[in-house]
Formats: sequence, structure tokens, C-alpha cells
Amino acid sequence: MRERHLETEIAPYLRGDLSASERVRVAGHLAGCARCRADADAFAAVLKTLAIDAARIPEPDWSAYRAELHRKIAARRDRLEISRARWRSPRLAWASMATAGAAVAAIVLVLMLSRPPQPGVPAVEQLAMEDAMGGADVGLLRNYPVVEHLDLLENYDVIEHLDEVTPADTANENRS
Amino acid sequence: MVQSDEELCRQVAEHNAAAFEALLDRHQARAFRLACSILGSEADARDVSQDAFIRLYEAAGKFDGRSRFTTWFYRIVVNLCIDHKRRNKWWRKMVPFSNPDDDPDAPPVDPPSPEPGPESLAIRGDSGRRLRAALEGLSPTQRAAVLLQTEEDLTSREIARILKCSESTARVHIHRALAHLKKTMRADD
Repeated sequence: MRERHLETEIAPYLRGDLSASERVRVAGHLAGCARCRADADAFAAVLKTLAIDAARIPEPDWSAYRAELHRKIAARRDRLEISRARWRSPRLAWASMATAGAAVAAIVLVLMLSRPPQPGVPAVEQLAMEDAMGGADVGLLRNYPVVEHLDLLENYDVIEHLDEVTPADTANENRS
Repeated sequence: MVQSDEELCRQVAEHNAAAFEALLDRHQARAFRLACSILGSEADARDVSQDAFIRLYEAAGKFDGRSRFTTWFYRIVVNLCIDHKRRNKWWRKMVPFSNPDDDPDAPPVDPPSPEPGPESLAIRGDSGRRLRAALEGLSPTQRAAVLLQTEEDLTSREIARILKCSESTARVHIHRALAHLKKTMRADD
């Protein structure tokens, strides 16, 4: 079977970053494969050019660099201190908390008002109507002694099953 | 006795200013150079490397000592560089990449070669400007991987730790970066 070409092993090989056994295998392949040898040659040249190019990066003025760094650190520390002091000061802390609380309350209110009524949950108007109807029923029951003689009470269960009553039953009832 | 980076970092966590200065002395040049290579801009490299030191100053306590200090710190530098490049990607499309090597009076870079092969000859004739233009075509991670290898002399295992990926993935990043650079630089000939 023909051995596959080298790929990710070339750079580690060039830099001596392979184990001894891997190194022997890669060296053996390179000895017999012109294409991989050409790749290795090209990669070596690129790596060398990169290293030389990196050495050409001009260094900044380190004292100015460090002075700027320390100014940035001090500025961040000051901002942090101001922020902490704000929370330590009772008046400012209460004002901040009150503002935050008001904002949260406003958001909750807006969300509640903008939310459509969910199915299955009765609306406020519906509950009020049911309450009024219930109240009317209670009033009716208080006057039960009067109402019972007015034949106004209807047995809805009986009405519902009237069509199930046979004529014989009706005749027996009449006889008795 | 010379203190290790790890020991100095622990002291920075305890607000020891002298320890922070010592770490700056040791790593400022490497951090700046690495950031400059990845970002291609000295001004950006200055800002980003300083940001990395600010993170070190503020978060030294988070260094748990399980890895080397350099791995931890260069992960901060590389992550900040990658974030910076991603953030500025849209902007870079609007503004052409400026390069100090655009100066025609700048001395040419043509490294001497003891064993010039045909591929080497083609590539070594390139200037740094063309190399950086080719680097622009790499993803931030590929660029970081290959530059960590060439500039910081890190192994692919160390690069994998910095990039938080497997060693084989780090090798793939390096291989793809080198293949792209080879192809781009040869195409320019």
C-alpha cells in the first residue's frame, strides 16, 4: 500500500518537535518522496522568513509604554473606587436602589399591561359578573320559603331526562 | 535567588507592585512582539499588550498554577488579539491595511541562505511587506498558531494549551498557515 503524503508532521519535524519514532518515520518518507521534500523545503523557508520578520519589529519606548500602562491601571482603579464609593454612600446607595426599583416596577407594569389575557384564566370583568350572579342566587335562597310555593323552582335534572320517561311510567304515576 | 514567573504571579495576586514590575520586565517585549505580529499594527499591539498586563494585574489570583505562567499569560495575549481582530474585521474592509514597509526607502530584507533550494530561493526573495500581506489572509487562530511557533519557539503541545485545543488541531492550524503562506508568496513571484 502506498504511504500517504506528509501534512501536519512537516512543521513539527522541521522544528524537532516529534518523538524519536515519528521522526524516523517522517525522515524515511521524505527520503523517498520528492513532493513532501519540496513542501518541507518551502515550509522551512517560510518559517525562517517569519522569524527574521519578527526580529524586525521595532520596540517601543519602554518607559513611555510602562508609564501609559500604569496610567491605565490607575484610571481603572479610580473608576472602580468611584463605583464602590457610590455603593458605600448611604444616600447615593438608596437613590440608586430606588431608581433601580422604580425601573423594575415600571418594566413589570408595562409587561403586565401589554400581555394579552391567557386562555383558561378568567378576565377581571368575567369574575365580577360571576360574583354578581352568585350574589343574586344567595338573595334568592334567603327567600326560599316564599319561592318554594311559587313553583318557580325547576328540577333541571328531570327536564333533562324527560324524553327517557316511558308512557307506562307516566300512566302508573297518574293512577297512583 | 531568581524567582519563577509563577511565584511572581502569586505575589502580584497579593498586590505586590515589585512582582508586577518584574513580570513586566520579563514579558513586555515578547507580549508586544507577539501582538504586533498577530495584529500587524504597532499601535494596536501596544494597546492590546497593555490590556493583557492589566488583566494580569487584576486577575493574577485566577492563575491556578496548573500550567506554566507563560502558557496562561500568552493565552490572554492571543485571546485579546483574536478578539481585537474579529471586532475590527468589518472596519478593516473599509480602511486599507497600512504598512510601515510601504516606505520605498526602507532597506530590503533578503536573508542569507547557506543552502538555497528552488523553493527557498523563490520565497526568500520576498520582502517583509509581502509576508505580512500573506499573513493577512490567515484566520486569527492560524496566524497566532504559526507565530507562536516561529517567534516564541513554542512546541505544538504548548501552542495547543494556549489556543485551548488538541495538539493535533494546533498542528493542523500551523500546517494550513504554512501552506497558505507558501502558496501566496509563490504566487506573488
